[in-house]
Amino acid sequence: MKHPLNVMFLTWEFPPRIIGGISPHVFYLSKSLAENGVKVHVVTCDFPGAPAHETLDGVEVYRVDSYRNPSPDFATWVYLMNLNMQKEAATITARLPEKIDVFHAHDWLVATAGIGLKHVFRKPLLVTMHSTEIGRRDGLHTSAEKMIAETEAWLTYEAWKVICCSQYMVSHVKWAFGLPDDKLVMVPNGVNLQVYENIRKHDLENFRKDFGLPEEKLVLFVGRLVYEKGAHVLVNAIPKILDKVNAKFVIVGSGYMKEQLSAIVKSMGLERKVLFTGFLDEDSLLKLQCSADVSVVPSLFEPFGIVALEAMAAKSPVVVSDTGGLSEIVEHDLTGVKVYPNNVDSLAWGVTKVLSDETYSNRLRVNAFRRIQENYDWGKIAQQTVRIYEGVLGEYSKSFWA
Amino acid sequence: MRVIIFTWEYPPRIVGQLAEYTSNLSTQLVRNKIETYLVTYHPYMTGLTEEPNGVKTVRVANPVRTHIGVLTWVLTLNQEVERAAANIYYQANKSVDLIDVFDWHFIPAAVILKNALGIPFIYSVDSLEDHRSHQADMPFNMAIKSIEWLGFYEASIVTAKSGWMRDEIFRIYQTPKEKIHVISPSSSTWINDVLKIYALAQGGASRA
Repeated sequence: MKHPLNVMFLTWEFPPRIIGGISPHVFYLSKSLAENGVKVHVVTCDFPGAPAHETLDGVEVYRVDSYRNPSPDFATWVYLMNLNMQKEAATITARLPEKIDVFHAHDWLVATAGIGLKHVFRKPLLVTMHSTEIGRRDGLHTSAEKMIAETEAWLTYEAWKVICCSQYMVSHVKWAFGLPDDKLVMVPNGVNLQVYENIRKHDLENFRKDFGLPEEKLVLFVGRLVYEKGAHVLVNAIPKILDKVNAKFVIVGSGYMKEQLSAIVKSMGLERKVLFTGFLDEDSLLKLQCSADVSVVPSLFEPFGIVALEAMAAKSPVVVSDTGGLSEIVEHDLTGVKVYPNNVDSLAWGVTKVLSDETYSNRLRVNAFRRIQENYDWGKIAQQTVRIYEGVLGEYSKSFWA
Repeated sequence: MRVIIFTWEYPPRIVGQLAEYTSNLSTQLVRNKIETYLVTYHPYMTGLTEEPNGVKTVRVANPVRTHIGVLTWVLTLNQEVERAAANIYYQANKSVDLIDVFDWHFIPAAVILKNALGIPFIYSVDSLEDHRSHQADMPFNMAIKSIEWLGFYEASIVTAKSGWMRDEIFRIYQTPKEKIHVISPSSSTWINDVLKIYALAQGGASRA
């Protein structure tokens, strides 16, 4: 490359606006790309109190007035927001002294803006598909859901490459939109190790006292309390685990199953052994993850499974159900324990095994942390992403658009 | 001079009177030595055609077939209008002098092309949402009005077909009257009036 790579990210969420997983993903990816010498321009939606333009660790962030147009419903709002976003992005691109080399869109929420920018500036468009409508809804049932799915299909059609964060999502997206193999590429999600490194410097012994007695092992679940996250499988496994080891179960998160789960705990007479914390602030969550003797991810459906990755970065041994993205993150007996999905006995076995054999669990911690450093480090993910950009630009340079 | 006309109806697809008007206009422009392209919608008859009258038309379809309303249909269709216009621009050695947009439907595409590629546009008003849906102030109507407003704000020149319409645009959107030019289709000087406005707007006329 003669000049540093110039990339424009389109995303509907970027800190401090956090709705789901796209926001931290784009935050860390853009930061790590900047550290690798890429100039990143992020165009995103506005947020109360956040500036319209700022430079964050070398990343240029532009926030678009996204509620300018009144809208009858969410999907129409998305397309109108895309008009404002594209206008802003087009103006920035036209005025920049250096040219944008690649437009990179995140999910259908910025589909029309990305497609439009590709054609008016004749530059390659890449997309990261973080999820799909057909996956989220388990089928397409309404006109709005079909419209969103068709917009996703159009976006993947227009994209030069479609990036997914797990092999599971690669095969799902290939199935959902009928894409050719050579258009799909897997780049995992990352985790920031430094954040956990800093947390470990705190007095975690003292912090731990708020959650369990010194003789109790700490079993941690983090996730929305909804069916597909499988907290009920863990709750039903608690008596079986307590038969073998003394432990305290900390369940972080909220959702429609919360009352049902507390009712089960009450009926078992185990209120003193289970703590429902609800939604937790980031600092306490990080400290808990670093203090846990085992982190359990009993999901029934999981496109990626970032919670398992975070636990491994926090050096907490993991027990996960063998499904979706989790199957790829964890290697059984080496970096964690895999159990049968939706199987109480299997889960109880896995948790008990980790809690009752310290040599085994320490081995898992060490191996898992090393695996995270090797495969899920944002710096390496940024380098992988740069290689994808360079590959695309190599192909582009031979096209009549160049 | 190379001009692109944006209209959501054009023969053989006729919805109202805009199809006939834009057909007549484009024919007259070609006769007056203006290289005329026209981008419009058709559900299946897509692509570039040189019509017998010398107008080069590009018809685009909507890649998204299922919709929940006219707004989502229009907003997604705009990307294809944008793509067609960008193709004309690049194939013509990056030189298009002017885009003439009829009504609100393809205003989004014109606004992006102006900001991205510096092509000025004229907003030719046939009707306004306030008159089509009188006293309707639901979010749906407000959204259409916000697109009309964007058009008035971003256009180099606005044309209206009567003095009454010019006053209405001023009343509803506070667009400066000097920016709004009246071109009466029934006037004997009609095509010359159009050509004068085109000459004025070419190369990005000032925002009066």
